[in-house]
Amino acid sequence: MNRSLAIVLGALALGVALFSGSYLVGQRLCQVCVTQSPGSLDWMRKEFHLNAAEMGRIQKLHAAYLSQCNLMCRMVAVKKQEVAAALNSATNVSPVAEQKLAELAACRAQCQSRMLQYFVEVSQIMPPAEGRRYLAGMQNAVLGFREGTGQPVSEPAGHERHP
Amino acid sequence: MNPDDAKLSALLRASRAEPALPPRFQENVWRRIEDAEAPAPSTSRLSWLEAMAALVLRPRFALATATVLVVAGALLGVHAGDLAANRAAQAQYLTTVAPAALR
Repeated sequence: MNRSLAIVLGALALGVALFSGSYLVGQRLCQVCVTQSPGSLDWMRKEFHLNAAEMGRIQKLHAAYLSQCNLMCRMVAVKKQEVAAALNSATNVSPVAEQKLAELAACRAQCQSRMLQYFVEVSQIMPPAEGRRYLAGMQNAVLGFREGTGQPVSEPAGHERHP
Repeated sequence: MNPDDAKLSALLRASRAEPALPPRFQENVWRRIEDAEAPAPSTSRLSWLEAMAALVLRPRFALATATVLVVAGALLGVHAGDLAANRAAQAQYLTTVAPAALR
């Protein structure tokens, strides 16, 4: 009986090891092979089932938006420095600091508006259902909306500058 | 020697020593008989394990099972890796088009 039990338990352990090992190897190989270059939009083609023409239009839109986004980020960074300078020399919130804060908020609002416009334009290139899903996911990730229409995009940790 | 000699036969019978039985001999004999006739309580479990062990040791069964496990594990792993890579690409996209400075 002990021998039979040892054989069965050994076979089970071997089975678990084989399955786990092949799972990990498959996962690792896939991650290495599928890892996309930074800025690649291939994930979008798969996620939203886009054809080549749609992808081409989205890539053009994306490239145009990125240059604007770079400028907007620089503007926001400048405004932040101005706010910091205005707050640095004062012990309270001076009218100048208030003005700089308002300018920063306005700059941010303008940038967010342009960003949302980009999301809308991209979603309009996609098939209607996929476009709605993309837009809902983006708004949810960026603005924290809870639309409940599917959230394909997870919220990442943000950064201050473009790569 | 005459086998029909009654006197000689009686003498031989008298000279044969009869050993004394050990204590509780009869009780022990009956207990051993009962033990031998009673079914073993773990017989079914024993046979099930032995059947499994025999099955596992069959080369064709072992090879087929190992192949299925490796293929299933690899397919699931590839699927999980694809999902993880996709999630990473989505996160990268979001960081690019909506950096923290603009939120």
